[in-house]
Amino acid sequence: MNIPSKKSIMQKKYFKIFGPSFFCLSLGIAIILIGATPSYAFNLDRFLQEVEKSSQPKPKKKEHDLTGEEPAPAKTQQNDGGMIGLGQSLGIFDKKTSKILQQSVNTLQALQPIAYKEEKAIGGRLAVEVFNRYGGAYKDPELLRYINLVGQAVADVSSRPDIDYHFAVLNTENPNAFATPGGYVFVSIGLLKLIQNEAQLAGVLAHEVAHISQKHALQTLGRSRSLQGISALTLTVMDENPGLFDKLIDEVSEVLFTRGLDKDLEFEADRYGREFAYRMGYYPEGLQNFIHQLGKSKEGESSIFMSTHPSTGERFNRLKKSMSRYEKASLYPILGKRFLSSIKKVQ
Amino acid sequence: MTLSAVVFFLLPHWVAAETWYVKKSATKMQAEASARSKVLTKLKQGTAVEVKKKSGKFFQVLAKGKTGWIFRFKLSKKAPADSQNDEDVLGALGGRQKMTARESTSGSSIRGLSPVSEQHARKKGATPESIQAVKDMENFKIRPEELDRFLEKGKLGEYSQ
Repeated sequence: MNIPSKKSIMQKKYFKIFGPSFFCLSLGIAIILIGATPSYAFNLDRFLQEVEKSSQPKPKKKEHDLTGEEPAPAKTQQNDGGMIGLGQSLGIFDKKTSKILQQSVNTLQALQPIAYKEEKAIGGRLAVEVFNRYGGAYKDPELLRYINLVGQAVADVSSRPDIDYHFAVLNTENPNAFATPGGYVFVSIGLLKLIQNEAQLAGVLAHEVAHISQKHALQTLGRSRSLQGISALTLTVMDENPGLFDKLIDEVSEVLFTRGLDKDLEFEADRYGREFAYRMGYYPEGLQNFIHQLGKSKEGESSIFMSTHPSTGERFNRLKKSMSRYEKASLYPILGKRFLSSIKKVQ
Repeated sequence: MTLSAVVFFLLPHWVAAETWYVKKSATKMQAEASARSKVLTKLKQGTAVEVKKKSGKFFQVLAKGKTGWIFRFKLSKKAPADSQNDEDVLGALGGRQKMTARESTSGSSIRGLSPVSEQHARKKGATPESIQAVKDMENFKIRPEELDRFLEKGKLGEYSQ
């Protein structure tokens, strides 16, 4: 007869006590990890926006504090069914288990947020495209310095001041302005001719900075079909898949230069742009006054602002509606003289 | 009773103490709530400061053993998660297991048009002038002192009234 040793009895005893508990605990942790992770991954862009918004110092009681309406969050790609759905219908998994498994699958497929290095690679490539399509660079060091000073000033009080911003002037009479991811901002000679003062210029540049600080183009890119199945868009992935990089650049180009961003993102850039200009101490009606001016002008008809943005009337009205939140706006400088003397060569 | 009184008097101070964070490196902390006052020190991005008083566009803060004033829009209520690197946030949330050294490079050290971008642009027929224009754009720098003078002349930012 085999008499169990004391050691094996103890092992069995411990297994009886700790084995099931340990198993349940491990299962619980695994379920929590699997179940919890998707919500981070899916809503990270949203989360970053929330963090950034909540981090802004609140101005006086009635002043605009960026707590207004927000653009709709990016829709995420959902995998609806497959083996997990089949498993559920066959009764292999219950509804809850299926949901958890589904979420974990989606997590694996969801694109991780694009890092700054990759963002800059995409933005830099698009910046080349902007120069290529819209008249090239206007080479006037004094004007360039002035545009960079105003742009840097508003970028410094933006929700994302810790990246390098670069501002350039495009040698075209069409009134255009662009922002590409990673910190590249462009204004055309034609646009500068329509602007009347520095507060308006600050508003326009701050609108473009807001597109970058709020990562609007990247939000659009995150919904790209080309990125389905890719968990992280790295420079290595881009380098090894020239076809993929091609598609991405084509898709973002289509959005930035032809179709335009979602209306809500434009309205958001208007609100944030006005806020950044105001923080820097500019007359906060600068942006809306420029939009009004653009809507009335003949030159504005050929502007990319018209073809890729919501109507000037709608943008003006939305900004005007929320203007009452800025107290004593008329006391803020518009700096008309400095603006005119800085752009006199192009007038 | 005595303890309640102590708690009652201490509570407002605890509630009032707010920790904010510096949004960008080289943020000036000054002796007074004025841009023209003496610069006590320059703080790095992410430095935690304790806000003691709020006066117009300036906050009086305690940081690294010094008390001084900072332009309020250079501060954020949340610790910056390094906006160049979303992985930092994601990492803190447990969303990403590994971050390569390449990805963790800080934004300020990322300079120049990426070779991937340049190569792609050339392949797609972008003119050398357009490529050079982006490089020129990236190389164009504004010195902090120059920006400071610009703001002072226009009565903007810290100099606004």
